[in-house]
Amino acid sequence: MNLNTLYLAVAGLVLGPLLGGLAAGVDRVVTARLQSRLGPPLLQPFYDVGKLWSKVIAPASHWQGMFVRWALVASLASDVILAAGGDILMCFFVQAASASFVALGAFCGNSPYGKLGAQRELFQLLAYEPVFMVAILCLAKAAGGFDAFSIMAAQGQPLLFKLPLIVPGLLFAVLVKLRKSPFDIAASHHMHQEVVRGVYTDYAGRDFALLEVAHWADVTVVLWICSFLWATGPLQMLITGLAFLFAALLIDNISARLTWRTMLKTVAPLTLILATANLVWLYLE
Amino acid sequence: MFGSFLKTSQVKSPWLLHFDCGSCNGCDIETLACLTPVYDVERFGIINVGNPRHADVLVVTGTVNPRNAVVLKNLYDQMPTPKLVIAVGACGCSGGVFREAPNVLGGIDKVIPVDVYVPGCPAKPEAIMDAVVTGLAKLKGILEASK
Repeated sequence: MNLNTLYLAVAGLVLGPLLGGLAAGVDRVVTARLQSRLGPPLLQPFYDVGKLWSKVIAPASHWQGMFVRWALVASLASDVILAAGGDILMCFFVQAASASFVALGAFCGNSPYGKLGAQRELFQLLAYEPVFMVAILCLAKAAGGFDAFSIMAAQGQPLLFKLPLIVPGLLFAVLVKLRKSPFDIAASHHMHQEVVRGVYTDYAGRDFALLEVAHWADVTVVLWICSFLWATGPLQMLITGLAFLFAALLIDNISARLTWRTMLKTVAPLTLILATANLVWLYLE
Repeated sequence: MFGSFLKTSQVKSPWLLHFDCGSCNGCDIETLACLTPVYDVERFGIINVGNPRHADVLVVTGTVNPRNAVVLKNLYDQMPTPKLVIAVGACGCSGGVFREAPNVLGGIDKVIPVDVYVPGCPAKPEAIMDAVVTGLAKLKGILEASK
């Protein structure tokens, strides 16, 4: 490991959550504008986390604090792996561990809504992880390597032209990871739904603030992996990531929530078949 | 610097928990009207949440009776500190026209401490938003005094 890798890793550690927080701010403003409202300031998610950090409340379970910290460590580690040019498959597995820690922490609490949300979180993992993994395999096959640098160094033709069929799968993963409708099944981001805040119901105060930061780090990683589809330069990657973000926001605002059954039985197999077809096509080429 | 950011955050991000404590729904409709594009309280960072563990401000409408007093106290106890309570409407403030009814205890201040009272039958959305802003000014004063 040389010094450059260390600098990149530190930059990933700091900038990953910050960019995710900015994406959350953009999300709040754009959603408000789509609903003919003015919306909060761009930095509102940071104020929210600052507020949650200064709240005093007893945790629902002593184990929750530990799981929250492990989830944060795993999410930040996935950011660092990607920024330092590591293996994107490893980054993907570490991020899945983070989501599992969030579910495990929710299982420790007393709230039935939290437990229901945790079960739904596991269903979400079951639905999007295979699709996301096949999409990553496609990216690696098309770029000729699993490390982030070799994918970003594929300067010639954008990978999108070789991988059109993984776009629905990636969009599905983005919608699930950003907790957006129609796949906002585990966390019920918008108010007054049947599971209150689902997997987040029992988390409060500092634990909830740390989970928000972990969520921001996750968002950065997912959008970053999506931006590999047009990795001909930093600007193009940024535009591709933003395109996925805006597509998710638009779908969130024009669609009602689906049930976990539809997600697991219809959307996941469909996107998985498309992504697998793309992978087979790459091998036959 | 981090401390002042945290104090600013507490004033800029009030999440409301709305509890209908036996209201006729008049004040509830006016409270929810604050979220519509006409009033858009999210401009001030206000979100209506359904979970007391995430809430900062408890907005209560309607009178208290011995049954829902337990629920009201429970919700208040589940909220993290520091917390604000806003009594909305004539019934929430004092029991309103129902204050002499045999099952009515009175306004919600009979059960939990109230920070801001919003009169009206029903209270106007502008008055409810003003109450939240007044409550936050009070919280800011408390935070600065505790320096």
